[in-house]
Amino acid sequence: MKATSLLGAAILGAALVAALAVPYVVSDYNLRVTVLALQSAIAVIGLTIAFGWCGLIQLGQAAFIGIGAYTSAILALRFGLGFWVTMPLAMAASALVAFVIAVPMLRLRGHYLALATVGFNVTAEIVAKNWTAVTGGYDGISAIPPVTLFGRVIETDLGYFHLSLVFLIAVAAFAWTLRHSRFGRAMIAVRDDEIASGTSSVPVVRTKVLAFVIGSALAGLSGALYAHYAHYVSPGDFELSRSITLLVMLIAGGEMAIAGAILGAVLLSFAPEWLRFVGEAYLVVFGVGVLLLLILMPEGVVGRLRKWFAPRAGKVGRA
Amino acid sequence: MTQLIQLIVNAIAVGAIYAVVALSFEIAYESTGVVNFATGQLVTIGALLGASTLAYSGVHFGGSALATQAASYAMVFGGMAIVGLLFFVGVFMPLRKQPALTVIIGTVAIGIAIQNLAQLTWGSLPIATQSPVGTRTLDFFGAVVSVHALYVIVVAAVLIAAVYVLLYRSALGAQFRALAQDPEAARLMGIRVNRLYALTWVLVCALAGAAGLLLGPMWFIDVGLGEGIGLKAFAAAIIGGFGSVPGAIVGGVLVGLAEILGASYISSAYKDAIVFALMFLFLLVRPQGLFGERVADRA
Repeated sequence: MKATSLLGAAILGAALVAALAVPYVVSDYNLRVTVLALQSAIAVIGLTIAFGWCGLIQLGQAAFIGIGAYTSAILALRFGLGFWVTMPLAMAASALVAFVIAVPMLRLRGHYLALATVGFNVTAEIVAKNWTAVTGGYDGISAIPPVTLFGRVIETDLGYFHLSLVFLIAVAAFAWTLRHSRFGRAMIAVRDDEIASGTSSVPVVRTKVLAFVIGSALAGLSGALYAHYAHYVSPGDFELSRSITLLVMLIAGGEMAIAGAILGAVLLSFAPEWLRFVGEAYLVVFGVGVLLLLILMPEGVVGRLRKWFAPRAGKVGRA
Repeated sequence: MTQLIQLIVNAIAVGAIYAVVALSFEIAYESTGVVNFATGQLVTIGALLGASTLAYSGVHFGGSALATQAASYAMVFGGMAIVGLLFFVGVFMPLRKQPALTVIIGTVAIGIAIQNLAQLTWGSLPIATQSPVGTRTLDFFGAVVSVHALYVIVVAAVLIAAVYVLLYRSALGAQFRALAQDPEAARLMGIRVNRLYALTWVLVCALAGAAGLLLGPMWFIDVGLGEGIGLKAFAAAIIGGFGSVPGAIVGGVLVGLAEILGASYISSAYKDAIVFALMFLFLLVRPQGLFGERVADRA
């Protein structure tokens, strides 16, 4: 027991050192990709909570990133508010929309929920494209101001790398605490057997709604960070295909683990770069690659590593 | 008024196509437990194969228009049957023991691959193709109605009736329904389960391909054609009720009406949102749909 926690601390420390070294070894372009990967990882951790732990099939996560990004951008530009005000409001907006749709949708199970979240994502896209007065329509919103911290404007990729990393670490720590709380155990119980957990006085509906809302709020945070980093948001960034990419990140890394969410986000963010040589056939390779991954390594990279290093921990990961 | 008649005929034709696609989607789900998110891309493949084989058979079997058309249809169904077998071997068999979401992502992934493959093969320019009944129109109480729209309605009705007879009035249909209820028990009753699964995927792909064939002459065909069709067929399946043939028909036609009348009288930009709003309304008020019986998960 002690050995594993020591090993865990060593891995965490090594990962942190490695992460801090990244900006000094990668090219400027790859640093940009890394920043986007860290921001995606925050949304994927949200997905880990809603889907990985609570079992809610969420195919519309990109819509909640979009709600966060647009809310933060609009508040910053129309009311001149700073990032530290618009960011929590963006999270609140995503959480609020999630709450409103959660109540009817979470009565649905399995494939109904999957289809409903797809419908929600597509509807959100249509609204973003056509509600021109507020969202700027197809053109999106540009000239979103950068983040200001302690009176200094963050302008460099390195600055956004550190900012996103700090947020990611905070979100990971929050998710870890959540997972090991009473609520975390309730989520797992609801996922594994809704009826049994209901009879054991786990508040099933409240647990599901809360997991969905928390997961969506984290997507909103990811979107707010993205908007102020890219200075530009448009409907294309929050399409259904992005929701699918986020789910693939989750599954590639290992759907139950926080580390898996982060690793999956990084791997999938760089996949287009690594596969540049296949040219126009990228999506064929991507699609077939994902299928092979599901067939050959359904537990994800982290799940597989865990099996190798601690044979008996495999069971705990699922429980 | 004449405009309304025209719109309604078109809406029913489009709705009939949605019904065929919804049926493909529901048969996959009921018989194999797979929520097939590649359904729309299968429709695209059917439409593209239809356009190409029609051009090919026009050159090589040049003779009567009927022979050309028949050869084209035969080639499309042959092609879709092969796609179905590939789907069975490459997607369904390897993933059949995985949890539902893994399978969903698998079908999404294969849909992405199919769409990209279609783009590499056919290019991204829209393709026009002809209907076997040409571009004639009929005068119907002063309204101009395309003969192809009527052809679509008739062919879709015949197809759906054939599926109904196959599922509910034939020995094979009894096997299909047994498989849908309980694959283990079906196997114990001596049903060759794997062969039936393979046949299911052939049927699923053939229906999607038929929808593509009917759709091709109505709209320009491009590689993104199926995406929207797939999503609206899902909406039709939910509105009509999963696992019900009449449900697929009514759901498909309702979605067609909501889309076309919504585009004309409310807002063409929001026509898809209107369809999804209708779907949400059903999920909220009547999640089992109009004709559905059960909402619970499959065991």
